[in-house]
Amino acid sequence: MSTIRKYTGLLSCYFKVNLAAALEYRTSFLVQAFGMTISNASFVFFWWVAFVQIGGRIGGYDFRDVLFIWSVSSSAFGLATIIFGNLNRITAIIVTGELDTYLLQPKDVLLSLLAARTSLTAWGDLFYGVILLVLSQGRDPHAWLMYLLGVITGSLLFTAIAVSAHSCTFFFGDTTMFSSLALEFVINFCIYPIGIYPLLVRFIMYSLIPAAFIVHLPLAIARSLNYGLVLLVLAGTLGYCLFAYWFFYKGLKRYESGNLIITRM
Amino acid sequence: MSIIASNLHKEYHTRIKDEGLRASLKALVNPVYRKIIAVDDLSFTVEPGEIVAFIGPNGAGKSTTIKMLTGILHPTSGDMRVLNMDPTTRREELALHIGTVFGQRSQLWMHLPPLDSFSLLARIYELDNKSYRMRLAELSELFELQDLLKTPVRKLSLGQRIRCEIAASLLHSPKVIFLDEPTIGLDVIVKQRIRELIALLNREEKTTVFLTSHDAGDVELLAKRALVIDHGRIVIDDAVTSLRKRYLNRKVIEVTLNDTQSPLCLHLPQGAYAETPEAGKLRCIADTRQISVSDLVKYLVETLSFNDLTVSDPPMEDIIAAIFRGEEYQK
Repeated sequence: MSTIRKYTGLLSCYFKVNLAAALEYRTSFLVQAFGMTISNASFVFFWWVAFVQIGGRIGGYDFRDVLFIWSVSSSAFGLATIIFGNLNRITAIIVTGELDTYLLQPKDVLLSLLAARTSLTAWGDLFYGVILLVLSQGRDPHAWLMYLLGVITGSLLFTAIAVSAHSCTFFFGDTTMFSSLALEFVINFCIYPIGIYPLLVRFIMYSLIPAAFIVHLPLAIARSLNYGLVLLVLAGTLGYCLFAYWFFYKGLKRYESGNLIITRM
Repeated sequence: MSIIASNLHKEYHTRIKDEGLRASLKALVNPVYRKIIAVDDLSFTVEPGEIVAFIGPNGAGKSTTIKMLTGILHPTSGDMRVLNMDPTTRREELALHIGTVFGQRSQLWMHLPPLDSFSLLARIYELDNKSYRMRLAELSELFELQDLLKTPVRKLSLGQRIRCEIAASLLHSPKVIFLDEPTIGLDVIVKQRIRELIALLNREEKTTVFLTSHDAGDVELLAKRALVIDHGRIVIDDAVTSLRKRYLNRKVIEVTLNDTQSPLCLHLPQGAYAETPEAGKLRCIADTRQISVSDLVKYLVETLSFNDLTVSDPPMEDIIAAIFRGEEYQK
């Protein structure tokens, strides 16, 4: 318990320092956050056009459902990169030898390196999700509850996917491209109705690509009120996180460091 | 013992490839790897409170050794203990008791004042607020940081930043500190200040200092003992004073001439040669295996008219350069 308290305190301290560093450039912060919101909004506009044209439901989802999965995906990804801002930079941290800095600290390497940065644009993602939810779900308490579940477990799952993909760098060399593709791949499966996919793909979305755990299961719970499925979401999240953690440390044993000149931003 | 290294060995496998696209395609299908031995059967010990200089040419294995001792890298074979802990298996615990400064790497947030980084590091090193405040006050006074603490790191000069870096690595009062090129890129005055601070730290807090540097001044003015590493092996483990006295058996004789006679016309005896001659000055190097200092001085007295003559040991940087060139070590 004291370890959890220690790490929660450390993460909150990292969060404050990162935010303070980000706020050194206030205008950039606002422009980037606003830019991300606008960029996201354009996608929803295309969905609205699609529903107006086709009408009714697409893949079993109505427009309100699509807005829910967009809202959870956006906020979950935003939250992940606000708290673990280095999740897209793990490969760079490994190949430049920046990992040394975290290995010299008396704390968990993975957690420290993930939390040592925040993303400015991620605030746009986070708030965009909230705005979508307010607009689409109103005061539906089940939707809000499942939004919270999806955002928390989803942010952990996005992080776990990034960690797993970037950890391949320890084994195969620079995997920046592969890792960003892996994340985009998962996001793509999060923002389309699950019903449009054949059964085999749906199975993959419950296993290899955990998109179902991030958005589709929380939506199903909010609509069916079958709260027993929450356990499945939690179990899936835990399994993925444990795998990512194990895989990172497995790779860390092969770490070879480097001697580039590094500064922390 | 603060540090024990026994038969440490570290090897890498690195991919090699010839020049050009054809070779790149070939390497894609049939990669060729070469084994590189970074550290080869390295053994040494460091006593508590010692300042040891760990010197060697680029690629000798200095950084790899430090990285193994601090738990960053795992050795291929061999044993090591730092403060009686194995850095490979007890990295987190060891990190609470050691400090590290890598001259080319920063642990401070560039866009924030050092105070913010210090406060985060205090949390990382689990210092309570009272101990942190006390330690910060001590270090601020010692390193004269009062005016720097609230300035963003990116606006500090390199010397100011290194002072903050060293202070940051000392916040948790480590028993052993590893300094990898701490004075790299600094001007003479700042280098001197940093050396004074490291010496003071060692004197006041009995901190064991393990230092790598290419700067002969760091070795000469700080360390009592030098470990010279080359091709991953210790080639010399000796007191710095002994290095100076024993290595090369050379003496430097500097003469200030009392007229403008050209020293170039001198025909120095066997075993002596003139170096960097300039108008009115002469610097002779004597190889005492071939000519004694008294014989050379006698020759100079008979040949030249001068105001002043001093005999000294060669500067440490000449000694280090000679060691790196692989010249014979005279025990």
